[in-house]
Amino acid sequence: MSKPLIVGAVAYSPNIVTIWEGMRDYFGTGPAETDFVLFSNYGRQVDALLDGTIDIAWNTNLAWVRTVAQSDGACRALAMRDTDTVFQTMFVSRAGTGWNGLADLHGRRLALGSRDSAQAAILPVHFLAGAGLTDAVQLLRTDSDVGKHGDTGRSELDALRAVVDERADAAAIGINTWEAIGREELMPGAFELFWESPTYAHCNFTALAGVPAERTDPWLERLLAMDWEDPEHRRILELEGLRRWVLPQLDGYAALFDAVREQAISPRW
Amino acid sequence: MVNTLLVLDLVERVGSVAQGGTVTVALAPDESRVDAEAVRDWCDRTGNELVGVSGREATVRRGRARDPLAELSADLMPGTRLWMYTNFDCNLACDYCCARSSPRAPRRALGVDRVRRLAAEAVDAGVSELLLTGGEPFLLPDIDDVAASCTAALPTTLLTNGMLFHGRRLERLRRMDRERLALQISLDSPTPGVHDLHRGQGSWARAVAGVRTAQAEGFRVRVAATLPPGLSGELEQFHEYLDSLGIARPDQVIRALAHRGVADHGLELTAESLIPEVTVTADGVYWHPVSADHDDQLVTRDLFPLRDAIAAVRARFREHRRSADAAAQWFPCA
Repeated sequence: MSKPLIVGAVAYSPNIVTIWEGMRDYFGTGPAETDFVLFSNYGRQVDALLDGTIDIAWNTNLAWVRTVAQSDGACRALAMRDTDTVFQTMFVSRAGTGWNGLADLHGRRLALGSRDSAQAAILPVHFLAGAGLTDAVQLLRTDSDVGKHGDTGRSELDALRAVVDERADAAAIGINTWEAIGREELMPGAFELFWESPTYAHCNFTALAGVPAERTDPWLERLLAMDWEDPEHRRILELEGLRRWVLPQLDGYAALFDAVREQAISPRW
Repeated sequence: MVNTLLVLDLVERVGSVAQGGTVTVALAPDESRVDAEAVRDWCDRTGNELVGVSGREATVRRGRARDPLAELSADLMPGTRLWMYTNFDCNLACDYCCARSSPRAPRRALGVDRVRRLAAEAVDAGVSELLLTGGEPFLLPDIDDVAASCTAALPTTLLTNGMLFHGRRLERLRRMDRERLALQISLDSPTPGVHDLHRGQGSWARAVAGVRTAQAEGFRVRVAATLPPGLSGELEQFHEYLDSLGIARPDQVIRALAHRGVADHGLELTAESLIPEVTVTADGVYWHPVSADHDDQLVTRDLFPLRDAIAAVRARFREHRRSADAAAQWFPCA
C-alpha cells in the first residue's frame, strides 16, 4: 500500500475542513489516496512544502512566487481552478465620480487590502506603477488578514468601508469580492467600477520537482476528473469556487513576479 | 437607498461561518424594510439563504440548507403510504389505544365514497400503498366495498383485531382481493396473559383463531404487536411463536407503545420527533396514524385534494427539521 499524498491548505474559512474532507473522500484509496494538513498562514505552508512535510501545497499566487524563489525554480504547478486563470483586480470609487481609468487616481487616496494580498495590494501597486502613478497616489493600507494572502476578503471589505467613510477615494479589490457585493447592481449608488486589470493567475497546486510523477500523475488525473454535473462533486467545487480543474497557465503569473521584484516583497511572511 | 455597510457586513460575517451556519444582522430601525429587501436580494444573488426576518433582525444561512426530504429514504417519504381511518368504534377497549376506540366511541366513518376518491387521488399523488385502520374496520357493514375501492387502486393493508371473522363478516372477508390485500392482525404476546391484560379476557385466543382463519382463506397475514418500550430483549420467544403460526419474519411487526389516546405511559411522540405518515380520518388529515385523534397533529381539515394535503405534511416536516437544525446551531453543547 502506497503512502497517501499529503496536501497542505490554509485554513482561511470554516469551510476549508468541509472542502478538504470532501476532497479526501473523493480521492479515496488507491494510487491517488490523499490526506491533508491545514496551516494558519501561507508562509508556514511553503516552509512545510520545502522541507517535505507535505507533498502538494494549495498555494495562492504569492505563495507560488515564493516557492519558485525559495526552491530556485525546482517546483511545478499541477493544476488550478478555471477561475484562477481569469482573476482580476477591480478599482472602484464612490458612485457618480465618472472616472474612467487609473489616471483619475492622480492626487487621490486609494485603499488597499492586506499587504500580502496579490489582488488587493501587490498587483494594484504594480498597476499604478505601470500607469506612472507610483508617487501620485496616497495609499491607505488595511492589514486585516496578513498571512492569508487576502483569502478571507476581510481587508478588501475594510478597504471598501474606507471609501464609504470617505477615508479613501477608491479601493482596489479582487473580482471575487466585487462579485460578492453584487458588483454595481445590488447597491446602486454605492460603488462604481472605473478600471479593471488584465486577467492574471491566482491559486495552484504546487509540488516540488523531487516528488515523482508516478506519485502526482494519478492524483492529477483523478483531480481533473471531478465533474460539475455530479452532485457530490459539485458540492465541493461550489465551496472551492470553481466549475472545473484545469492545467496551469503559468503566463498568468508574470505580472506578480514583476511586482514582487519591483516592490522588493519579503521572501516569506 | 441600500445600506452599503449592511451588505459589506453580510459578506464578511457570512464568509466567516461554515456552510450551513447562520448569522443574524441588525436592520436599520427606520429602514428595516429596505434593509430586509437588500438582504433578500443579496442572498438570491450569492446563493445564500434568508432564513427569516424578525423585527429588526435578519437571519441568513451560508449556502442553502439541504432539503430534509431529500435525506429520507424513498420508503420514508411522507405520502409514500396513505393511512385511512375507516371508523373509530371498536369491539374492544384496549387500555393503550392511541385512537381512543371502544364500543362506546362514535363511529366517525370515512365512508366508501370518500375512500374511493382518496384511493384514486392517491394514485395520482404518487402513493404506493394504502393502509386501512380503525377502530375495528370489520364492524362496518360495507368493509368489503371499502377494501375493494382501495385494492382497485393500490396494494392495500387492512388492520384488524381478527376477532370478527364469522357469519356475514367472514363472507365480507371472502369477497376481498387476496392478491392486493394483506391483513395485519394485532397480537401482543405469545401466550394469552399480556395480550388479554390489555385487550380483554379471551381476546388472545380469538385473535389467534382469526390469524388461522385469514391464512386458511388465502390471505397474506402480518402480525403486529404493541409492546412497552424496553421489552426488545424478550422478543425471541414471541418471534418463535409467530414462526410456528406460519408468519414470515418480515411480517412480524413489533411497535412500541405510544403515550397517546388512552395509554397512560409509553413513548412521547410529537410532530417534531415523528417522521410523518399521512393519515386521513373523517375529521381531517393528520401527521401520523398514532395521532389521528389528536388536534396537536392535525395538518388540515381539507381531505381534498389529497395532493395538497400531502404537500402540507411535507412542508411542515421541512419546517420542523429546519427549526431543529437551527436550534442545534443556536444551542451548541460547548
